[in-house]
Amino acid sequence: MTEEQNTQTPIIELNGVTKEYCLKQTFFSKADACVIAMNNISLAIQKGEIFGLVGQSGSGKTTIGRLLVKLEEPTKGVIKLNGKSTNKLTGKALKHYRSKVQMIFQDPYQSLNSHLSIAETIIEPLIVNRIGNAATRREKVIEILEIVGLSPGEDFFHRYPHQLSGGQRQRVAVARAIILNPDFIVADEPTSMLDATIAIQLFQLILDIRKKFQMTFLFITHNLAAARYLCDRIAVIHNGIIVETGTADMVIKNPQHPYTQKLIMAQPGFSFKK
Amino acid sequence: MVKAVNNISFSIDQGCSLGFVGESGCGKTTIGMTLMGLLPENASILKGDIIFNDKNLTRFNDEKWRAFRGKEISMIFQAAMNALNPVIRVDEQIAEVIQIHNPQMSNADVSNQVKKMFSLVEIPEDRLRDFPHQYSGGMKQRAIIAMALACAPKLIIADEPTTALDVIVQDQILKEIKKVQKALNTSVIFISHDIAVVADVCKDICVMYGGQIVEKGTREEVFKYPRHPYTRALLGSYLTLDSYDDITVPEIREAPDLITITRGCSFSTNCNCKSQKCQSQTPGWVNLSSTHQALCFEEVIHKEKND
Amino acid sequence: MKKMEKESKNKNHSIERFTKAWAIFIKNPMGKTALIILSVFMLMAIASFFVPFLGPVYHPMTGTDPNITYSTGPSLQHWLGTDFIGRDLFVQLLEGAKVAFIVGLSCAFISVVLGTAIGMISGYAGGIVDTVLMRVADIFMVLPSLVILLILASLWELSIWVIIFIIAIMRWPSVSRIIRSQTLSLKSRPFIEASKVAGASDLRIIFKHIMPNVLPLAFLYMTFRVTSAILVEAALSFLGFGDPGQVSWGMMLQWVWSSGHMFQAPYWLLPPGICISLLTLSFYMLGRAMDEVLDPRLRKEEEGA
Repeated sequence: MTEEQNTQTPIIELNGVTKEYCLKQTFFSKADACVIAMNNISLAIQKGEIFGLVGQSGSGKTTIGRLLVKLEEPTKGVIKLNGKSTNKLTGKALKHYRSKVQMIFQDPYQSLNSHLSIAETIIEPLIVNRIGNAATRREKVIEILEIVGLSPGEDFFHRYPHQLSGGQRQRVAVARAIILNPDFIVADEPTSMLDATIAIQLFQLILDIRKKFQMTFLFITHNLAAARYLCDRIAVIHNGIIVETGTADMVIKNPQHPYTQKLIMAQPGFSFKK
Repeated sequence: MVKAVNNISFSIDQGCSLGFVGESGCGKTTIGMTLMGLLPENASILKGDIIFNDKNLTRFNDEKWRAFRGKEISMIFQAAMNALNPVIRVDEQIAEVIQIHNPQMSNADVSNQVKKMFSLVEIPEDRLRDFPHQYSGGMKQRAIIAMALACAPKLIIADEPTTALDVIVQDQILKEIKKVQKALNTSVIFISHDIAVVADVCKDICVMYGGQIVEKGTREEVFKYPRHPYTRALLGSYLTLDSYDDITVPEIREAPDLITITRGCSFSTNCNCKSQKCQSQTPGWVNLSSTHQALCFEEVIHKEKND
Repeated sequence: MKKMEKESKNKNHSIERFTKAWAIFIKNPMGKTALIILSVFMLMAIASFFVPFLGPVYHPMTGTDPNITYSTGPSLQHWLGTDFIGRDLFVQLLEGAKVAFIVGLSCAFISVVLGTAIGMISGYAGGIVDTVLMRVADIFMVLPSLVILLILASLWELSIWVIIFIIAIMRWPSVSRIIRSQTLSLKSRPFIEASKVAGASDLRIIFKHIMPNVLPLAFLYMTFRVTSAILVEAALSFLGFGDPGQVSWGMMLQWVWSSGHMFQAPYWLLPPGICISLLTLSFYMLGRAMDEVLDPRLRKEEEGA
């Protein structure tokens, strides 16, 4: 991270973002029952970074991802893309935002429509954004399939999700996310349902894509070691609050917050080094 | 016909811990199910014996299994939280297990045993009469462990007991398992895809791939000096908080379809040894030490060592 | 050349799915029986188009035999006999089969199309749209369809197509409820959210993603709609409120009763009654066999989970 990059506008900024889920006041309860999933979160992610968000279940990490891809809106605070506020976007502006911010989902068995072929799934962002025609779209899909390692692209083009393994399906999910060449990708626990030997290959793919396309990633995970491997900077989230931020090395080697320290201590003890 | 597991041989002594590590489809859960007599209807044991304290489990019928399960061998399942009945109080569920296997025990004795189990897994006594939904995830898992231990079994099989838990709770549960194992001198077979978790609990390890054990030995031998190409790939993929000099990204595709393997080594299509021999001939056991063995060919093992 | 390959591969997948489904369906004893019975009735319905060409005496409505002016039993010329004005009963039975299929399938089709569309929109939109549509559905569901039909039929003479339309209008709510719950469960699935994130409009999501997942269920319910439609039409006709210009099994029962031949002419009374029962039963069995095909267990196999 050079000085120059630090003074540039961050690609994604969260300022005081809070998300509450409230059950409406009913006859039986006096006050609204509210759960605060995210509490006054502020973050800045620079272009080309892989930013890690580490938290356990219920910490609010998934909610941040959902807010960033506008599956939900924040209760308070502002999310900025390239310096411009993105709250309550609708219509064309929302569609434009969507073409700039994409997501890789966690469950490879549920994030692909089993009735659609791989080609139909990957081509959808192009169709929805009216990019190209039938021929150019087909070429683009095959190109993307090759990029994500599903080679030969011509072959995988016609296949259906049930013919693919979990790792291959996640590659399709990555392909769908990158086909519009977005500015920013949220990867929501993309490997938590994959075996270790397959997960590491997917991490390599993400690193390759970052290098090739200067893409920025938010990597959401519960696995501190994975975050350290993949990410430049890490934020640790607990009960909806960011407790610590820093470079991956700093946070792991010199954790300041007691919760981070607890997380590090809890990693299983056996050392695999000779 | 699919051979879910093929030619499995291992032994475990009283009070010892043995880990089965491998990725999806390797057959490790099948081993656990077989040792509990919980194989599905369309499954059968083709060959071999399972000897447990001089009894041959492969000859057991349903009735014998019912008397045996829970008492001599007990199991902690994956997502075991769902194993608790939501409408019955937790202490009653533990009591039920005890009473089934010890019909002659008095109510007072049963109650004492339940209290003993709860203190063993460190659940406070005032939480005994709660319902499962009032427990946190970690507490539910501890209740399941108490249920598994209630009749003081000789062997516990833990199948991914901490997969659904947060890392901090997982740490507590693993400590719990080690503690109770020591206290009761129970043997533990620990099944998981997470090598760190298995290494934490078990002194001996079996690595599985494609329905077979491909490497076995002490945890130091297997995890610090792996020799089978698959074990090396597995360890090369494992991320720790330390530095990453020895991370190697393998070129493995997902586990092979067990229906299509006919000859040769089950790992040959994914192995970096690129040997023609491996695809046509079945490898045998290579002895690396008195306790350490790998299912491979000598020349491949030695090539790995020199790499 | 490449485009053809792609299309044939796509077709192969649909064919593959269909073959799999067919294999399960045909193994089911109810499925087999249903298909056999339905084929027989289909043949009867098709035959009803051609039989009148054999001669004017074989027209179901106007084909009176000049030699016979009263009800007779089975004979070589008239396989089931004749009705009270000398019309061939077998021809009437064939015509009834045709009408039963038309009534059953049209009603089912209209109510399922309506119910599916409303169910999907209601489930996906949620909020006020959902509430309003479901309250409307409740109102329709509560209305006794047969009674309403009787009232309407007593005020105006209803043609067969009006009857079909009214039955269909009464029957869509139950379909929409099922489709709505299916939509609700699909709505929050990751692949739907992924489409949203890609920028897909609500309409595209409903018709491209939700509909294919919901259609099998809709078809299943269509089979049940068919049975109820056939029964309602038969009941209406039997009570004398059907389309008097149209021969149907219910109408045949009306005639055997109103002409006083109920207990004297079993060859007239029994065939239409048995046919109504058999046809509705076979559609019901069809639905049950399809149920097994659509079982989630089968879907799990496909997903390879």
